[in-house]
Amino acid sequence: MAEPSQRPISPHLGIYKWGPHMIVSILHRVTGDGMALVGSIVMVWWLVAMASGPESYKAFVDCADSPIGYVVLVGLTWSFFQHMCSGLRHFVLDAGAGYELSSNRIWSIATLMVPLFGTAAVWLFILFGKVAG
Amino acid sequence: MGSGTGLGRVRGLGSAKHGSEHWLRQRTTAVGNLLLMVWLFASVLMLPNMDHGTVTSWMAQPIVAIPMILLVLSVFTHMRLGLQVLIEDYVKDDGTKFGALILLNFFCIGLGAAAIFAIAKIAFSGTVN
Repeated sequence: MAEPSQRPISPHLGIYKWGPHMIVSILHRVTGDGMALVGSIVMVWWLVAMASGPESYKAFVDCADSPIGYVVLVGLTWSFFQHMCSGLRHFVLDAGAGYELSSNRIWSIATLMVPLFGTAAVWLFILFGKVAG
Repeated sequence: MGSGTGLGRVRGLGSAKHGSEHWLRQRTTAVGNLLLMVWLFASVLMLPNMDHGTVTSWMAQPIVAIPMILLVLSVFTHMRLGLQVLIEDYVKDDGTKFGALILLNFFCIGLGAAAIFAIAKIAFSGTVN
Protein backbone atom coordinates (compact mmCIF):
# COMPACT_ATOMS: atom_id res chain seq x y z
CA MET A 1 0.00 0.00 0.00
CA ALA A 2 1.28 3.42 -0.91
CA GLU A 3 2.36 5.84 1.80
CA PRO A 4 -0.17 8.65 2.44
CA SER A 5 0.88 11.57 0.26
CA GLN A 6 2.01 14.78 1.90
CA ARG A 7 0.74 16.72 -1.10
CA PRO A 8 -2.19 19.09 -0.53
CA ILE A 9 -5.55 17.40 -0.96
CA SER A 10 -7.90 18.72 -3.60
CA PRO A 11 -10.78 20.66 -2.05
CA HIS A 12 -14.18 19.06 -2.21
CA LEU A 13 -17.54 20.64 -1.42
CA GLY A 14 -18.38 17.93 1.08
CA ILE A 15 -15.02 17.81 2.87
CA TYR A 16 -13.57 21.17 3.80
CA LYS A 17 -12.80 22.99 6.99
CA TRP A 18 -13.95 26.57 7.49
CA GLY A 19 -11.03 28.96 7.73
CA PRO A 20 -11.09 32.59 8.85
CA HIS A 21 -10.46 33.81 5.29
CA MET A 22 -13.72 32.16 4.16
CA ILE A 23 -15.70 33.91 6.90
CA VAL A 24 -14.08 37.25 5.98
CA SER A 25 -14.96 36.69 2.32
CA ILE A 26 -18.64 35.97 2.84
CA LEU A 27 -18.94 38.69 5.50
CA HIS A 28 -17.59 41.22 2.98
CA ARG A 29 -20.51 40.43 0.72
CA VAL A 30 -23.09 40.20 3.53
CA THR A 31 -22.06 43.47 5.20
CA GLY A 32 -21.66 45.30 1.87
CA ASP A 33 -25.01 44.28 0.48
CA GLY A 34 -26.62 44.67 3.93
CA MET A 35 -25.43 48.28 4.12
CA ALA A 36 -26.46 48.84 0.50
CA LEU A 37 -30.03 47.72 1.21
CA VAL A 38 -30.57 48.89 4.81
CA GLY A 39 -27.89 51.53 5.44
CA SER A 40 -28.71 53.47 2.28
CA ILE A 41 -32.35 53.80 3.31
CA VAL A 42 -31.42 54.83 6.87
CA MET A 43 -28.99 57.47 5.58
CA VAL A 44 -31.44 58.90 3.03
CA TRP A 45 -34.19 58.89 5.65
CA TRP A 46 -31.87 60.80 8.03
CA LEU A 47 -31.01 63.41 5.36
CA VAL A 48 -34.57 63.83 4.03
CA ALA A 49 -35.98 64.05 7.59
CA MET A 50 -33.34 66.67 8.42
CA ALA A 51 -34.28 68.71 5.34
CA SER A 52 -38.03 68.37 5.99
CA GLY A 53 -38.03 70.10 9.36
CA PRO A 54 -37.99 69.41 13.12
CA GLU A 55 -41.12 67.22 13.17
CA SER A 56 -39.93 64.76 10.51
CA TYR A 57 -36.51 64.79 12.15
CA LYS A 58 -38.08 63.96 15.53
CA ALA A 59 -39.90 61.00 13.93
CA PHE A 60 -36.55 59.70 12.65
CA VAL A 61 -34.83 60.20 16.03
CA ASP A 62 -37.72 58.45 17.83
CA CYS A 63 -37.28 55.39 15.58
CA ALA A 64 -33.49 55.48 15.94
CA ASP A 65 -33.86 55.80 19.73
CA SER A 66 -35.97 52.61 19.99
CA PRO A 67 -34.73 49.04 20.68
CA ILE A 68 -35.06 48.11 16.98
CA GLY A 69 -33.33 51.38 16.07
CA TYR A 70 -30.33 50.49 18.25
CA VAL A 71 -30.14 46.96 16.78
CA VAL A 72 -30.09 48.46 13.25
CA LEU A 73 -27.60 51.23 14.09
CA VAL A 74 -25.21 48.95 16.01
CA GLY A 75 -25.51 46.41 13.17
CA LEU A 76 -24.71 49.09 10.60
CA THR A 77 -21.74 50.32 12.67
CA TRP A 78 -20.32 46.79 12.82
CA SER A 79 -21.06 46.25 9.10
CA PHE A 80 -19.23 49.48 8.30
CA PHE A 81 -16.11 48.48 10.24
CA GLN A 82 -16.22 44.89 8.96
CA HIS A 83 -16.61 45.95 5.33
CA MET A 84 -13.93 48.64 5.74
CA CYS A 85 -11.42 46.19 7.25
CA SER A 86 -12.08 43.43 4.70
CA GLY A 87 -11.99 46.12 1.98
CA LEU A 88 -8.56 47.23 3.18
CA ARG A 89 -7.54 43.56 3.13
CA HIS A 90 -8.75 43.43 -0.49
CA PHE A 91 -6.39 46.29 -1.38
CA VAL A 92 -3.47 44.34 0.12
CA LEU A 93 -4.50 41.16 -1.74
CA ASP A 94 -4.97 43.19 -4.97
CA ALA A 95 -1.34 44.29 -4.61
CA GLY A 96 -0.37 40.60 -4.58
CA ALA A 97 0.62 40.49 -0.90
CA GLY A 98 -0.67 38.51 2.06
CA TYR A 99 -1.28 35.15 0.37
CA GLU A 100 1.14 33.10 2.51
CA LEU A 101 -0.91 30.70 4.66
CA SER A 102 0.23 32.05 8.04
CA SER A 103 -0.03 35.78 7.23
CA ASN A 104 -3.32 35.24 5.40
CA ARG A 105 -4.69 33.53 8.52
CA ILE A 106 -3.41 36.17 10.94
CA TRP A 107 -4.78 39.10 8.90
CA SER A 108 -8.11 37.33 8.34
CA ILE A 109 -8.51 36.92 12.10
CA ALA A 110 -7.50 40.57 12.63
CA THR A 111 -10.07 41.59 10.02
CA LEU A 112 -12.72 39.87 12.15
CA MET A 113 -11.52 41.21 15.52
CA VAL A 114 -10.86 44.91 14.76
CA PRO A 115 -14.52 45.64 13.78
CA LEU A 116 -15.75 44.24 17.11
CA PHE A 117 -13.45 46.60 19.04
CA GLY A 118 -14.28 49.49 16.69
CA THR A 119 -18.02 49.00 17.11
CA ALA A 120 -17.66 48.70 20.89
CA ALA A 121 -15.49 51.84 21.02
CA VAL A 122 -17.94 53.92 18.96
CA TRP A 123 -20.97 52.88 21.00
CA LEU A 124 -19.23 53.26 24.36
CA PHE A 125 -18.32 56.78 23.20
CA ILE A 126 -21.89 57.52 22.10
CA LEU A 127 -23.46 56.19 25.30
CA PHE A 128 -20.89 57.29 27.88
CA GLY A 129 -18.48 59.70 26.20
CA LYS A 130 -20.79 62.69 26.38
CA VAL A 131 -21.53 62.09 30.07
CA ALA A 132 -17.84 61.91 30.98
CA GLY A 133 -16.83 64.81 28.74
CA MET B 1 -21.29 31.10 -23.25
CA GLY B 2 -20.35 32.10 -26.77
CA SER B 3 -17.85 34.82 -25.95
CA GLY B 4 -15.54 33.49 -28.63
CA THR B 5 -17.89 33.26 -31.60
CA GLY B 6 -19.50 35.95 -33.73
CA LEU B 7 -22.96 34.42 -33.20
CA GLY B 8 -22.46 34.44 -29.44
CA ARG B 9 -21.51 38.10 -29.53
CA VAL B 10 -24.55 38.95 -31.64
CA ARG B 11 -26.75 37.21 -29.08
CA GLY B 12 -25.17 39.33 -26.35
CA LEU B 13 -23.78 36.32 -24.52
CA GLY B 14 -20.16 37.37 -24.52
CA SER B 15 -18.12 39.64 -22.34
CA ALA B 16 -19.32 43.24 -22.29
CA LYS B 17 -15.63 44.32 -22.27
CA HIS B 18 -16.36 46.48 -19.25
CA GLY B 19 -14.90 44.19 -16.60
CA SER B 20 -11.84 46.29 -15.81
CA GLU B 21 -13.91 49.49 -15.75
CA HIS B 22 -16.25 47.95 -13.17
CA TRP B 23 -13.33 46.64 -11.11
CA LEU B 24 -11.43 49.93 -11.17
CA ARG B 25 -14.49 52.04 -10.35
CA GLN B 26 -15.24 49.73 -7.41
CA ARG B 27 -11.70 50.43 -6.09
CA THR B 28 -11.77 54.18 -6.81
CA THR B 29 -15.05 54.60 -4.97
CA ALA B 30 -13.77 52.32 -2.18
CA VAL B 31 -10.95 54.81 -1.49
CA GLY B 32 -13.47 57.67 -1.66
CA ASN B 33 -15.79 55.85 0.74
CA LEU B 34 -12.93 55.17 3.15
CA LEU B 35 -11.94 58.85 3.41
CA LEU B 36 -15.46 60.30 3.38
CA MET B 37 -17.08 57.78 5.74
CA VAL B 38 -14.28 58.13 8.31
CA TRP B 39 -14.77 61.91 8.05
CA LEU B 40 -18.56 61.54 8.50
CA PHE B 41 -18.22 59.18 11.49
CA ALA B 42 -15.69 61.46 13.20
CA SER B 43 -17.70 64.63 12.47
CA VAL B 44 -21.03 63.25 13.71
CA LEU B 45 -19.41 61.82 16.85
CA MET B 46 -17.88 65.25 17.59
CA LEU B 47 -21.22 67.10 17.36
CA PRO B 48 -22.32 68.31 20.81
CA ASN B 49 -25.76 66.69 20.31
CA MET B 50 -28.05 65.36 17.58
CA ASP B 51 -30.78 68.05 17.86
CA HIS B 52 -32.34 69.24 14.62
CA GLY B 53 -30.86 72.74 14.88
CA THR B 54 -27.39 71.39 15.62
CA VAL B 55 -27.26 68.92 12.72
CA THR B 56 -28.83 71.24 10.13
CA SER B 57 -26.61 74.23 10.94
CA TRP B 58 -23.63 71.86 10.81
CA MET B 59 -24.78 70.39 7.46
CA ALA B 60 -25.53 73.85 5.99
CA GLN B 61 -21.82 74.78 5.94
CA PRO B 62 -20.20 74.32 2.49
CA ILE B 63 -17.27 72.52 4.15
CA VAL B 64 -19.78 69.85 5.25
CA ALA B 65 -22.39 69.91 2.45
CA ILE B 66 -19.83 69.47 -0.36
CA PRO B 67 -18.05 66.40 1.09
CA MET B 68 -21.49 65.03 2.03
CA ILE B 69 -22.64 65.25 -1.62
CA LEU B 70 -19.37 63.64 -2.72
CA LEU B 71 -19.94 60.91 -0.11
CA VAL B 72 -23.40 60.18 -1.53
CA LEU B 73 -21.99 59.97 -5.08
CA SER B 74 -19.09 57.72 -4.04
CA VAL B 75 -21.08 55.46 -1.70
CA PHE B 76 -24.05 55.08 -4.06
CA THR B 77 -21.82 54.29 -7.06
CA HIS B 78 -19.96 51.70 -4.98
CA MET B 79 -23.22 50.26 -3.73
CA ARG B 80 -24.67 50.04 -7.26
CA LEU B 81 -21.60 48.13 -8.44
CA GLY B 82 -21.67 45.79 -5.42
CA LEU B 83 -25.37 44.96 -5.72
CA GLN B 84 -24.90 44.45 -9.48
CA VAL B 85 -22.38 41.67 -8.74
CA LEU B 86 -24.77 40.15 -6.19
CA ILE B 87 -27.55 40.04 -8.81
CA GLU B 88 -25.24 38.69 -11.52
CA ASP B 89 -23.98 35.94 -9.20
CA TYR B 90 -27.30 34.71 -7.84
CA VAL B 91 -29.99 35.54 -10.44
CA LYS B 92 -29.61 32.92 -13.15
CA ASP B 93 -32.56 33.71 -15.42
CA ASP B 94 -31.59 36.34 -18.02
CA GLY B 95 -34.95 38.13 -18.02
CA THR B 96 -35.19 38.31 -14.23
CA LYS B 97 -31.57 39.47 -14.09
CA PHE B 98 -32.27 42.25 -16.61
CA GLY B 99 -35.31 43.39 -14.63
CA ALA B 100 -33.40 43.24 -11.32
CA LEU B 101 -30.59 45.35 -12.77
CA ILE B 102 -33.08 47.99 -13.95
CA LEU B 103 -34.69 48.07 -10.48
CA LEU B 104 -31.20 48.33 -8.98
CA ASN B 105 -30.43 51.42 -11.08
CA PHE B 106 -33.74 53.03 -10.12
CA PHE B 107 -33.11 52.24 -6.44
CA CYS B 108 -29.56 53.65 -6.35
CA ILE B 109 -30.10 56.70 -8.56
CA GLY B 110 -33.46 57.51 -6.94
CA LEU B 111 -32.12 57.29 -3.36
CA GLY B 112 -28.97 59.16 -4.37
CA ALA B 113 -30.97 61.99 -5.95
CA ALA B 114 -33.16 62.26 -2.83
CA ALA B 115 -30.06 62.41 -0.62
CA ILE B 116 -28.32 65.08 -2.71
CA PHE B 117 -31.53 67.14 -2.92
CA ALA B 118 -31.90 66.98 0.87
CA ILE B 119 -28.30 68.10 1.44
CA ALA B 120 -28.66 70.93 -1.11
CA LYS B 121 -31.94 72.07 0.46
CA ILE B 122 -30.32 72.30 3.90
CA ALA B 123 -27.26 74.05 2.48
CA PHE B 124 -29.20 76.60 0.43
CA SER B 125 -31.82 77.42 3.08
CA GLY B 126 -29.44 77.57 6.04
CA THR B 127 -30.72 76.25 9.35
CA VAL B 128 -34.22 74.80 8.83
CA ASN B 129 -36.29 75.78 11.85
